[in-house]
Amino acid sequence: MVMDARPRAGWFVAALAMYMPMCTPEVRPTAPTPQAPVASLWRSPDDLANRDLFHGVWGADRAPRPEDRYMLIRVKRSGVNPGLTVRDGRGRKWSVKQPLPDALGDEGPVEVTLSRVLSAVGYHQPPVYFLPSFSLTDDWGTRREPGGRFRLADPSLEELGPWSWQQNPFVGSQPYQGLLAILLLLKSSDLKNDNNSIYRYRQGDRIERWYVVRDLGTALGETGRLAPRKNEVELFERSRFIIGVTRGFVQFDYRGWHQELVRNRLTPEDVRWGATLLFRLTDLQWRDAFRAGGYSPAVADRFIGKIQANIAEAMRVGEEPSSGSGRQ
Amino acid sequence: MWRFCLRMQPILLVAALTVVTKPAQVLAQERSTGETTTSEAEGYFTEPRAIAKGIDFAVRTMGGGDGDRKDGFYPETGAMITGAGWISAGPGYRHRLFDDRAIVDVSAAYSWRGYKAAQARFELPNLIRSRLAVGTQYRWQDLTQVDYFGEGTESLESNRSEYRLRSHNVVGYGRLQPVRWLSLQARTGWLYSPELLSPVGHFKRGFPSTLEMFPGDMAVTRGDQPNYLHGNLSVVADTRDHRSHPVRGGVYRAEWATYNDRDGGLFSFRRTELEAAHFVPLSSDRIVFALRGWGVVTDTDPGRTIPFYLLPSLGGHNTLRGFNDYRFHDRNMLVVNAETRVAIFTHMDGAVFIDAGNVAARARDLNLDRTSYGIGLRMHSSRATFARFDVARSREGWQIVFRLNDPLRLSRLSVRTAAAPFVP
Repeated sequence: MVMDARPRAGWFVAALAMYMPMCTPEVRPTAPTPQAPVASLWRSPDDLANRDLFHGVWGADRAPRPEDRYMLIRVKRSGVNPGLTVRDGRGRKWSVKQPLPDALGDEGPVEVTLSRVLSAVGYHQPPVYFLPSFSLTDDWGTRREPGGRFRLADPSLEELGPWSWQQNPFVGSQPYQGLLAILLLLKSSDLKNDNNSIYRYRQGDRIERWYVVRDLGTALGETGRLAPRKNEVELFERSRFIIGVTRGFVQFDYRGWHQELVRNRLTPEDVRWGATLLFRLTDLQWRDAFRAGGYSPAVADRFIGKIQANIAEAMRVGEEPSSGSGRQ
Repeated sequence: MWRFCLRMQPILLVAALTVVTKPAQVLAQERSTGETTTSEAEGYFTEPRAIAKGIDFAVRTMGGGDGDRKDGFYPETGAMITGAGWISAGPGYRHRLFDDRAIVDVSAAYSWRGYKAAQARFELPNLIRSRLAVGTQYRWQDLTQVDYFGEGTESLESNRSEYRLRSHNVVGYGRLQPVRWLSLQARTGWLYSPELLSPVGHFKRGFPSTLEMFPGDMAVTRGDQPNYLHGNLSVVADTRDHRSHPVRGGVYRAEWATYNDRDGGLFSFRRTELEAAHFVPLSSDRIVFALRGWGVVTDTDPGRTIPFYLLPSLGGHNTLRGFNDYRFHDRNMLVVNAETRVAIFTHMDGAVFIDAGNVAARARDLNLDRTSYGIGLRMHSSRATFARFDVARSREGWQIVFRLNDPLRLSRLSVRTAAAPFVP
């Protein structure tokens, strides 16, 4: 019996369609536009030593008040983590990312901590804060809810949509390469375009366009493609960062999606550039960043210890002659 | 022995899939914002890392516990009735419209034994400050191998037969919830002439067709089944802390239903149900004692009868676990289950249980003469039971039960369409 080829072709096309989301465009810079100078991604942190990493660059004034009563606007209907959009007593709108019950790692603290670190070293970030719990009012009354990451819908920021890791005006620039190096150092495992946002930032009559890596919560654990574990200090401490240097490119222990962003793309200079930015943060600033994420000092110190070890490793990378086959 | 092995094979196969497929279904049943995170009782023994990682992986992969179903595509794993086989799956898609004021939900599923089902639902869930929900649902199902042993408590196990039931059902429903724990529900629908056929599908067990085994049954002799106009009213009080893994609280339900045969009236009848389950934690939640009772009585006008596929039924994984699914049918039924769960590990409980109940032609003849007992294991998160494995014993032998749900759940709480057949 001879089967009609069309059903087989249909299955093939269906299988290909399933695979397509994993395919990504070539990594290359798009033509720079006047709206996207490098400062849209990164601005040199001249006052880095003085930056407050507990409240962040957006300051204490914008922080959510723990004693406030938050009114439910809507429940988040996408993604894995539960979340809510709420309005506080001052009429400000917040996006709340809550912990996932029974999951071993929680994204909210990671997101706030990494946001503090990135914004301190010059990368734009929206105002995010951490509250361990809060009072929520909905149709059924008021009760305590698990807290998490609170992201303010600040009137100065207008979200315009996602931007592509693969094709943007900054590919190949030092801040772009350094940003990837920093995220790899912090074991970020979610280099998806959906996690990036372009914002229009207005301050008086000044308007800027910001390219922001926004959803930073999948980090400080392991990297992987299927539900990698995050915010686990034991895993993070055991993890490897740099595997070696091959043909002039640093090889990372990175197992997440979008290897094309990482494999044979970052030079030792890129990695050292990013690590040098982090190296300038003081111990107090690191502790403040983790305190902002709600970490206990003991856990924070363990994370910081491993991060500083990774920074030291990054600062040494490329100093030894490369064997060409990788360095252990 | 070969039957034992036959039962064990799918259990082992499904074990690997369990934690991946279940959470979307069971965790989604939690209410949207009414529950806060609960810390889970630690077990009496240190949990192996593999179990904690398995639960963690399941929750992170499928989402968990925020209580409400997410928008978008989802795997439909809970659409099938008892007897469909050890697994069923299919695609589903859900979307909320108008700022959560409306839900559109469509899904289809196919089971191990070739059962097929598809449904489409439109609901306005948040009327009057979330106090009122109204909706409509259409469901088509083709149930290929439903068991029937004959009517009465003395029906013989050796008379086991199977039938195929194909039906379309469209319903409209409303749910009034004056307070969070109390709801009043009303439903009316049209069950379009169910087709009663000989069994088909995969993995047939070789039992004869009900149409041949019971040729004198009224429903069989009638041939074409009638259209039914059906309706019900129910009141539910639910104080459980979590629907799929309750530790404390209870759920109590009373329902009155009517089925009106629109083609002559012969199969018109009324049904009243009372059901309650209560959960009592002991020893810092490490031990949970659960008690559940379910009674169903039916009545008809003189000269009317109830087709066998709509008769109250007893037996199987949700009622008398030591008996086959759908083992007993009659006009009335009663079952009581008592179960004690002990937290061996944080996410695994051991359980001992006893079930007792019976069916009877007259409600006053109901008793608890049919008993089964056994032991089991429960895999769960703090909010949802992912899987259970029970070994149960009755006078008719051993039954091994593997299911992706909580044993004492009130399955009818989430069913909107007509219960055809009656599912124990």
